[in-house]
Amino acid sequence: MTTTPVSPAIATNKRPVTTQRLGSWLIYLVVSLYFLIPLAATFYWSLRGKKDVLSFEAYRKLFADTSFLPAFSQSIINAIATIFLCLLIVVPTAYWVTLRLPKLRPVVEFITLLPFVIPAVVLVFGIIRLYSAPPLLFTATYNSSRVVLICVYVCLSFPYMFRSVDNGLRAIDVRTLTEAAQSLGANWVTILFRVIFPNLRVALLSGALLTFAIVIGELTIALYMAQHTLGPYMSDLTRSKVYEPSAMAIVAFAITWAAMGIIDFVGRGASRQAQKTEAE
Amino acid sequence: MSYLSISHVTKQYGDTVVVDDFNLDIEKGEFVSFLGPSGCGKTTTLRMVAGFEIPTAGKILLDGADITDKAPNQRNVGMIFQAYALFPNMTVAQNIGFGLSVRKESKEMVAQRVDEMISLVNLEKHATKYPYQLSGGQQQRVSLARALAIHPQVLLLDEPLSALDAKIRVSLRAEIRTIQKKLGITAIFVTHDQEEALSISDRIVVMNSGLMEQVGTPFEIYNFPTTVFAANFVGSLNNASAEVVDPANSLISIDGVQFESGIDLKERRKGDKVRVAIRPERLSFASEQKKANVVDATIENITFLGSVVRIQLKIGNTKFNMDTFNNPFLELPKIGAIEQVTCSREAVLVLDE
Repeated sequence: MTTTPVSPAIATNKRPVTTQRLGSWLIYLVVSLYFLIPLAATFYWSLRGKKDVLSFEAYRKLFADTSFLPAFSQSIINAIATIFLCLLIVVPTAYWVTLRLPKLRPVVEFITLLPFVIPAVVLVFGIIRLYSAPPLLFTATYNSSRVVLICVYVCLSFPYMFRSVDNGLRAIDVRTLTEAAQSLGANWVTILFRVIFPNLRVALLSGALLTFAIVIGELTIALYMAQHTLGPYMSDLTRSKVYEPSAMAIVAFAITWAAMGIIDFVGRGASRQAQKTEAE
Repeated sequence: MSYLSISHVTKQYGDTVVVDDFNLDIEKGEFVSFLGPSGCGKTTTLRMVAGFEIPTAGKILLDGADITDKAPNQRNVGMIFQAYALFPNMTVAQNIGFGLSVRKESKEMVAQRVDEMISLVNLEKHATKYPYQLSGGQQQRVSLARALAIHPQVLLLDEPLSALDAKIRVSLRAEIRTIQKKLGITAIFVTHDQEEALSISDRIVVMNSGLMEQVGTPFEIYNFPTTVFAANFVGSLNNASAEVVDPANSLISIDGVQFESGIDLKERRKGDKVRVAIRPERLSFASEQKKANVVDATIENITFLGSVVRIQLKIGNTKFNMDTFNNPFLELPKIGAIEQVTCSREAVLVLDE
């Protein structure tokens, strides 16, 4: 994300530009500190694993812990499965609602907002109640519970994925592209996979990465469904260890930052393409 | 039996009739334009031929087959959009080859056809470029190549030149017409620009509010418009209300000034109110050459338009425009002067209201 400098032509205040710039930078600095100070403190704390010396001992212990990597990999796999399922459901839905059923849009948008309305605790107990007795017995084994968990995560990431895809569809004038493809003889499957999906790359990626962030850090539902993912592992850690949780927090932060960096990088390439097409 | 037959096609959205009883038979290889203002139903009719709208009533037959209810991807029509609609994720070559690859043609076949089309639209150096790297005119040519690659039975063009600047518009429309003639492909061209329609069509359908106003060759529509709308929309026109003075001799009077018309008025009665139209270029100064009608006119204003000089006159109480070719050595009359103006019988058109 690049910050555009205020050009004198646009500045409407009577104050000179330099004062205005200074003011902007001051605000920027204050807000950054609000985020950076706790982060720095956490990082500093995580370096105090060894007595009297700054070291990466806490990180070493973290990665040596036998239950860390399995929990981490479970979360990653859950996240990937969630992303995949979510894409498969959301993209055709958003596409259909945009093209054929614009009247259904308010209904779909309402549905995608439901996850925000229901607290996680209420949700998880509802699920357990529903799926722990025949004929819908899905919580009998660890793996079947895991499948239920993934399905719940798919619901939780609907708002982000749908909004992302919806914006992407608007940006590419999906109606005209579809009609062009149809006039050339393409069926729905071809259109979705050869025309729509490739042009939604950025939107899909940003939706996917948001989903990734949600699933990786999710705690409540995983905990009450007795799943050994990263969330419950982290909460266990805070109860028993002193420095490892901070190390864990920094690791999680670093992963999220890397993910955002990827969206930005990919997004820049694609938005330049889109800008050029619009400029014609 | 005509190649493309649109018969009694009507399109209604709820209570609104967007296209009202459209009838047209198009021959193979013919270039037909649908001309009209925004909202007249021309694009809707085109989209019904393409399959993006289903008619509320009526039939569309292509080469004998009824395609009225066929899905758009079953129709073998090539469509060109105002917004180009090129696939941003594919190169020029991939865009052009899309229709063929959908039909699962062999790679060699696709490559050969793509090369053919690229040379047809003169884009040899741009085959590996992406749409965002091309200008508007180039993108539209790719769009044309893409639509033609699949050997469509009909080519449908939805205001393809409206998004381009003036010079490109003129050169590209000539290119489209040349390619169409060369391939002998039937085409329907939708536009609101009457100059476009006049310059490249075999026939024009003038439309207004869902109705067909007139169908004819550009020459017929311009010189012999049958309705007030057609006369006004195509080319500029002088419009006046007049009264029939002598039906047998086709004499009418505009504000007391008498004109003889070339139109047969025997069906009318003396005193009938009619609408009369005279094209500005059909009026001239009587000092050059006297024609059937000679009247006095007051010069109100003179405007220099480049190749044409437009003179605003008053005949009786009605304002008229007179267009004459620019001639640097011509002495133009002074404003306020009264001059004798003439026109032929045939120039005085009597229109249906």
